[in-house]
Amino acid sequence: MFGQKSELMVPQEAVTVFSINNLDLLKKIGVDKLISYDFMNEIHQELFDGSTDNKSLKDAGIDFDQRLNIFYGKTQNMEVSGFTFGITDQSALFAVFDDFDPLPSEIKGVNAYGSFFNNLVIKNNNGLLIRVEPVESYVISITDSVWFSRGNLSPYYQGFEFDESLNEEELLTQDVSFELLEKNYNELRDSIQYVLQQEYLSKVFHGLFEEGKSLYSNSAVFQELLLHPVAGVFYMDNERNFDRAKNLWYLKSVLPSLYLDIQELYQGNIITGDLVLGTQSIDFKITAAYSEPLGSIYLEMNNAKFDKRVAKYIKSDQSAFFTYTINLEQAYNKAYDIILPLLEKEKNIDLSLNVLSLKLANAFINKDAVFDAYKGCMFGTFNGIRKVKTRKIEFFYNEDTFEYGERETDAEEDMPIFTLGFTTGRPDVPELVLEHLSTITSNFEKKPNYWVYHKAIFDSAPLYILNTNGLFILTNDEDLAKNHPDGYGKAGLSKKTLKTIKNAGSMSGFANLKSVANQFPMEFLLPEQVPLMESLRGKSGTMTLSSGKTTLRNTEISLSYGFETLEDSGNHLLDMLNTLYLLTK
Amino acid sequence: MKITYILFLLPLLLNSCIEIIDDLSIHNDGSGTFKYSINLSSSKLKVNSILSLDSLNGKKVPDLAEIESKLLEFKSLLLEEPGIEMVKTELNKSDFILKISIEFNSISQLQSGIKNVIAQLNKEKDHKLIEENWISWDGKTLVREIPSAITSRLKSFDYSEIELLKSGTYTSITRFDKPILKTSNSNCKLNPSRTASMLQVNAFDLKVNNSLIENAITLTP
Repeated sequence: MFGQKSELMVPQEAVTVFSINNLDLLKKIGVDKLISYDFMNEIHQELFDGSTDNKSLKDAGIDFDQRLNIFYGKTQNMEVSGFTFGITDQSALFAVFDDFDPLPSEIKGVNAYGSFFNNLVIKNNNGLLIRVEPVESYVISITDSVWFSRGNLSPYYQGFEFDESLNEEELLTQDVSFELLEKNYNELRDSIQYVLQQEYLSKVFHGLFEEGKSLYSNSAVFQELLLHPVAGVFYMDNERNFDRAKNLWYLKSVLPSLYLDIQELYQGNIITGDLVLGTQSIDFKITAAYSEPLGSIYLEMNNAKFDKRVAKYIKSDQSAFFTYTINLEQAYNKAYDIILPLLEKEKNIDLSLNVLSLKLANAFINKDAVFDAYKGCMFGTFNGIRKVKTRKIEFFYNEDTFEYGERETDAEEDMPIFTLGFTTGRPDVPELVLEHLSTITSNFEKKPNYWVYHKAIFDSAPLYILNTNGLFILTNDEDLAKNHPDGYGKAGLSKKTLKTIKNAGSMSGFANLKSVANQFPMEFLLPEQVPLMESLRGKSGTMTLSSGKTTLRNTEISLSYGFETLEDSGNHLLDMLNTLYLLTK
Repeated sequence: MKITYILFLLPLLLNSCIEIIDDLSIHNDGSGTFKYSINLSSSKLKVNSILSLDSLNGKKVPDLAEIESKLLEFKSLLLEEPGIEMVKTELNKSDFILKISIEFNSISQLQSGIKNVIAQLNKEKDHKLIEENWISWDGKTLVREIPSAITSRLKSFDYSEIELLKSGTYTSITRFDKPILKTSNSNCKLNPSRTASMLQVNAFDLKVNNSLIENAITLTP
C-alpha cells in the first residue's frame, strides 16, 4: 500500500492538507528555514539543538520524487498535525532529526520513533511526523471531574498567598505533612493529558496502519486532487469543520433533527485548491464546493453587478482594498425559502415562536426599502499610516519658579487610515439617522459635503461620513472627506483594474504586502490574527484576490501572489503556503 | 498586575509620547511633598487602542477601573506607612494623566514607605526596585538616582522604538527653602532665586545614558 506514496500516510483525522508536488523547488531551502515556518510548528524544537544548521532538505535524506504533505485536523477531543514525506536516506534523516529514539512497534513493517513532543513513523521509505494532542478544554474538564470527586478544594484557592506568609521551616513542615502519593492538580492534569494522548495516538495509528484507512482512502476528492499537475494542492473539509464547531453543541443536543438538517446543508462542503507556479507569481486557484441547497443561496447572492461608482473612491496606488458585491435581497429570499421549512419542522415552542416572528417580519417589513438602503456593493481600503490631528494636554513651566500648569494644544498621532463604504439607493435613510444623532450630541457636525463625528475613534480622532453619489462612506481619511468628496477622479482605479473587478464575481481584493504588513498596527488585530501579519512582515510583492464563477455546486476563487525575483520562488511558495496555513488553521 | 508598572514602568512600556514630571519639595526640617505626574495625552489613540485589548505581548492589559482600584489600594497602603501624612491620587481618564501627591515627614520615610507598598502590591517581588535606594538626603545634600529596574527596561527597547522614545520627556524638579550652592549634573537648571532645580531629559537620551538624571544637589550652609 505504501509503495511510493507518502500521501497515503495522511491520517483520516486530517481536515486540512497542503501537498507540495514540485519538491525540486525546495531542494535548496535550508532545513532551519523550512522548520521555522508556522506549518512546521511540530519540529521547532529541532531548531535549538544545532542539528539543522546549514543543512538543506537534500542533506536531510528527503525523497524529492515524492510529495511533502502537511496536514492539520481537529475533532471534539483531539488535534492532529504533522507532515508526510518520502525518504531516500534514513541515516541522513536521523542525522538532522536526531532527537528521535526508537519505540517498540507492534505493527509489522512499521518503525516508530519518539521525541519529547512528536512521533515519527517510517514504513517502506515513507515518513510520517505526527503530533497528537488532546484538546485542552477536554483535558481540563476530565481533570476537574476527577479532582473534585476526590473531595479536593478548588486548585485556585488562596493557599499560595497563605504560603507566602510562612517562613522556610514552616513551609518544609507543611510539605512533609502532605500526602506525597496524592497528585496535585497540575500533576493530575498532566497524567490525564498523557493517557489521552497515548490513547489518541494509538487510535490514529490503528486506523492508518491496521485498518488501512487514511484521508486518501476515505476521500475521492482528495484522490482526484492529487492528480493535478501543479506545484501543490490544498484540501480542506469544511463539512467536518462544521461538525466540530463548539457552538453547535446546543443544537446537537437540544434540537437534534434540526442539527441533522443543517448538517445536510453542509454536506460536500470541501474547499480544494491548486498552487500554480508562474514566472513571477504563484496563483492559488480555489474551488469551494457545497451542497445544492446552499449553492442555490450562493447563486442568488452572487448574481449581482459591481457598481462602478465605487471605483472613484479607491486610489490606483492604494496599499490595499477589497470589494464585495452581493445581491442581498435575492439571497434573503432564497435563504427564507430553504431554511424556514427546516425550522418549521421542529416541534419546539421557543423555535416555533421565533419562526412566527420571522414570518410576520417578512410579511410586514418593506423589504424593498431595507435592501435599497444597502444595495449590496461594499468596499474597503487601507491607505497606510498617517498623522491625524488630536488634542493633548501639555505641561508648561514658569522659568522663575519652575511651577507648572496645563494647557490644551494640538497634537498629531499615527493612525491607520481606513475607508469603508457601500452603495445605497436610499441616502435619505442614513441622512435621517445622522440628522437625529446631531440633535443628541454636538459631536456630530454637518459640513457642506460630509458629516464629521468628532472624537469618534478611541475618543480622540474624528470619523468622516460621506453620504453622496449613491454611496455611504465611513472614513478617518481627512483628505478624502475634505478634498475628494466626489472621489479621486483620474487618480481612482484604472479602467483596466475596474474591468478586472467587474469580471471578478462577488469578491476582489488587492494588497501591497510591503506597505500593508509592515505598516498595519498590531494593536488593531485580534490575537489569532497576529501570527498571520507577523508572517507577512518583511515580505514584498502583491497579493490579489478575485472570485470567479458561482454554480449550484461550487464557487471559484483565485488568489495570486506576485513577486519580482524568480530565484526565490521556493521561498515564495513556502511564504504563500504559510499564509494559507495560518488563514485556515 | 504590578502597581510598579502603573507608576513607573507602564508608561515606558507603552513606548508612547509621554511626559513625566517628578516634583520634590524639601523643607529645612526634612519634611516635604513629592508630586509625580504622568501625561499620556499626546498618545490617546495608542493608549485607547491598547486598553481595548485583553492582552498585549502575552501580558494582561488592565482596564481603567482596575488601574483606579490599584491606585486606591496604593493610596490606602501608603497612608498606613510611618511618616506619610497625606496622599492624593488623580486619574484623568479622558486625557490619560495620572497625578500622585505625597506629603512626608522625611525623605527616608518617603522612600521606605513607597518601597514597602511596592513590596506588598508586587507579589513577584521586584527586588531591584525594593532593595535599591533612589534618593538620599543628609540635611545638606540631596542625591537622586534612577532605579536600575527602569533603566534596564529602557535598554531592552529595540531600534524600531527609538523614534517613539525620542519624543518622551522626563522632568525632575527639586525645591528647597534655602538656596542651592551647587549641583553635580551640568544639565541641571536653577531658578533665579536658586531655590529650585530642574533637569529635563528625553526618554531616548535616558536609554543611551541612564545617569542623565542622576544629580547631587548641595545647599548653602
